[in-house]
Amino acid sequence: MTRNTRILMQCIYWAFVLYLLIPLALMMLMGFKDSKFIGFPIRDVTLDWYLAVFQDSQVLNAMGYSAIIGVLSTAIALFMGTWIAVALTGRSFWGRAILLGLTLLPAVIPGVISAIAFRIAARLVGLEPGMWAIIWSHAIHNVPFVVLVVMARLSTLPKSYGEAAQDLGADPIITFFRVTLPYLTPAMIGGGIFCLLLSFDDFVRSFFLGGYEPTLPVLIFAKLRSGMSPEINAISTVVLVLTAVLGLWAERSMRGMKKRAAND
Amino acid sequence: MTLSNTRPASGPADRPGFWGRLSGSGPYAALTDVLLASPRRQFAILLIVPVIWVLLTHLGPILQMINVSLLTNYPPGPNNVPTYTLEHYGKFFTDSIFIQPFLRTLIFSSVLTLTTLIIIYPVAYFLARHVRRDRQMMFLMLLLIPFWVGEIVRIFAMMILLGNNGALNLALQWLGLTERPIPFMYTGFSLSAGIIYLTALYMLMPLYSALEKIPPSLFEAAADLGAGPWTRFRRITLPLSLEGVSSGCTLVFLISTGVYATPVLLGGPSTTLFSEVIAGFFHVAGDQWPVGAAFAVIMLVTALLLTGAFTKLMAHLAGRVKQ
Amino acid sequence: MTKLHLNRRRFLHGTALGAAALASPAYLRHGMAQTGGEVNIWTYNNFVPDDFKAQFESETGIKVNIRLVDDQGKQFNLLAAEQPNPTVDILTVAGHRYLQFIDSDLLAPMDTGRLSNWGNINPVFSESDWGTINGEKWGAPILSGAEVLAYNTEVVSAEEAQSWDTLFSDKYSQQTAYILQDMMSVLMLARGYDGNMIEYLNDEAEAARIMTEMRDFLIEQKPHVRKYYDGGAEVQQMFVNQDIVLAHAWNGPIATLITDGFPVAMTIPKEGSYGFVYTFNIAKGAPNADNAYLFLNALLSSPEIGANLSRSSGFISTYKDVEQHLTEIERKATSFPEEQLAGLQFFRAEANDLKYRLMDPAVEQIKAA
Repeated sequence: MTRNTRILMQCIYWAFVLYLLIPLALMMLMGFKDSKFIGFPIRDVTLDWYLAVFQDSQVLNAMGYSAIIGVLSTAIALFMGTWIAVALTGRSFWGRAILLGLTLLPAVIPGVISAIAFRIAARLVGLEPGMWAIIWSHAIHNVPFVVLVVMARLSTLPKSYGEAAQDLGADPIITFFRVTLPYLTPAMIGGGIFCLLLSFDDFVRSFFLGGYEPTLPVLIFAKLRSGMSPEINAISTVVLVLTAVLGLWAERSMRGMKKRAAND
Repeated sequence: MTLSNTRPASGPADRPGFWGRLSGSGPYAALTDVLLASPRRQFAILLIVPVIWVLLTHLGPILQMINVSLLTNYPPGPNNVPTYTLEHYGKFFTDSIFIQPFLRTLIFSSVLTLTTLIIIYPVAYFLARHVRRDRQMMFLMLLLIPFWVGEIVRIFAMMILLGNNGALNLALQWLGLTERPIPFMYTGFSLSAGIIYLTALYMLMPLYSALEKIPPSLFEAAADLGAGPWTRFRRITLPLSLEGVSSGCTLVFLISTGVYATPVLLGGPSTTLFSEVIAGFFHVAGDQWPVGAAFAVIMLVTALLLTGAFTKLMAHLAGRVKQ
Repeated sequence: MTKLHLNRRRFLHGTALGAAALASPAYLRHGMAQTGGEVNIWTYNNFVPDDFKAQFESETGIKVNIRLVDDQGKQFNLLAAEQPNPTVDILTVAGHRYLQFIDSDLLAPMDTGRLSNWGNINPVFSESDWGTINGEKWGAPILSGAEVLAYNTEVVSAEEAQSWDTLFSDKYSQQTAYILQDMMSVLMLARGYDGNMIEYLNDEAEAARIMTEMRDFLIEQKPHVRKYYDGGAEVQQMFVNQDIVLAHAWNGPIATLITDGFPVAMTIPKEGSYGFVYTFNIAKGAPNADNAYLFLNALLSSPEIGANLSRSSGFISTYKDVEQHLTEIERKATSFPEEQLAGLQFFRAEANDLKYRLMDPAVEQIKAA
């Protein structure tokens, strides 16, 4: 790669970052506006919207509720998605294409239809609307994304890795846990982030399968009816900062773990 | 951490750690004897869980959707008990006004997928090959952070960026580049700006993970053999990242056939997509669910056929490269 | 068809009957027998004021569970999916959607005899003919809205805003927005037709001709419109961002802009317009119907609660005597001059089958044009 193309790519990267971050900067800024609406000009500023986020128990509860749903549904989707990806990769058997097609279906069924179908199915199996119903629907919807990402990585796993382990006497289960799974970790982290994002941003499934406790998007949609106020911007900013801090912390602690493991 | 710092673990025999002890224990040996008796049995056990999961949870909703699409009315009421009919499918093929948004959606999604690919490829490449390994996660996070803000909130932020009295127009006027505000909103420009924001992530993740695992030694070897940068890209990088291109494009295409809120809020009067037509059957006073479901089935089947063909093509290309 | 005209005096003042009884919360006196339990409500954000909810809970011991909804269609689908054992007691239906809920057997008729505060509702709303279907009442009206012409007062003059035609004038080309479906109904009214299409129930050819006329006009106007929008938050943002200066809108979102000090105003133009009413309804098979009646009676007990509802939603109160509890700017934002109200009619649902069978494809064609 020549120096020029490298600089060009660096420019594209930073331009892209700018394009992603400018709307967010505007969102944060508008959280300080002393008005019921966002937009220019900003005549007066206030901290009230931000302070109100931490005093509004409804908003705090919704954040916690969405976080629990996100983590649990992601765990289920990762488990199931990885299993399916492993079963489908590197083998050809009758019905593989059908199974793959069915696996990917939930990602493309329109949200409203799948939400209502889940609602009816939940009643058939006696699952009450509420947290577990939402977790269940999010997990189902997110499995295809895990499968796609994990399969992409799995297809590049050199055959020699597994063969070497088996030559050393490891059975397939141990080979999976000691060779395949570590190799898949980056894809699973990526897939997990996907799932968390999708779950955290889902409105329609949470609406239909939820009970009387709103998730964060359901609450925001309800608030939006009376206008896009700085309050919603402040709530979103707080969520953003919290997740960014959490992400940085996770990244740091994982890097620390790696270092310790390397020195071990 | 780095995303790819994974070597094959040393075999269980050389150090009796947890796995060594596990493989030596009696109950485990008994269990594996049953589970792993033959490759056939291993395969069956591996497959049974996905099959049950997929049949129970993935097939259920789709059957329900097909069922609804064949009913005369839904939800059923006491005064109107539904019967089965094919008329809703006929409606799509006989009424020409639905074909146009349908084709527009397919073209739009294809163009959008290609655009996203062209924009994101250099970003993913830069990230995977030019950023130090231990800093990649940080750079990646910078790109992921925006997605923690809900779609709707991001769209409204886009509105105050692009509006007549928005940040961009204010900046342009302050710089003296324009006197009157430029109408960015409710045009193809605002629509693309909003949708690429939405789909970028789905392209970035698979591309990045495909690119970052290409061993640098390959490039050095190629360079030693006198291959120029373009040749190296064409002969090494592109073929080896085809997997990532394939799954990234599949994701973006499937998602963009179904996007709803962004085109509704950022698009203009003439950019109606098929998902809006489908949603109309669910929301608008008519509440014609069965028609909406039938149209959704049509969209779904088409999108799956197209992505299926695309994946086959990519696999074929990748296979040819390997030879 | 019967036209229901609103008269300002009846509309905002109502009769003085029973006003004295409003001084203290009525549910204090009636609710003592009730102990504990809960009541489940589906409604929009801010339609049950927080302080009212807290007071009701502490005085009756009944827990109020609120599930926030944001769309009539979703609420209908959710309730349909819950049949035959709904979890909900009270839901919020727009008056012109009654037929759909009643036809699907989702609502219980309202026994107004169990609501001692029923008389606190302005009879324009409580006794109107759209509210009585199959000889029964189906809901307690709490707020009312209207389709209005909203305009930026720094650009558009009050005189220009007296007619729907201004929305289609070349002068404001590319600076207007409207909700397509609603605009078609209003446009029919402005052209002298029945926007509810009840007059054409027996003359489908005429209905189709009118719909085609509306469709062709809106297609012709398409180059001049900036945006077909759906939600109140959108039209507010378009005004704030100065993407538009003139729009067809519901009064609620515009009222919120006015009270926030934005230079916008609204009128019911001289050609007239349509109004709609939000009601609290009791679901068929409601698990806590007794508590639901107790809740409704408490909600209707004082004009202050009505004013509170109006203030937080921007819609017009259906209660008598709310005016004294609103500030001047709030009054301005939630009321209209008498001569404008005279042109307001309510949406009706009797001919909805015919109307939407014609309108849905017309809307698709306009969008596709």
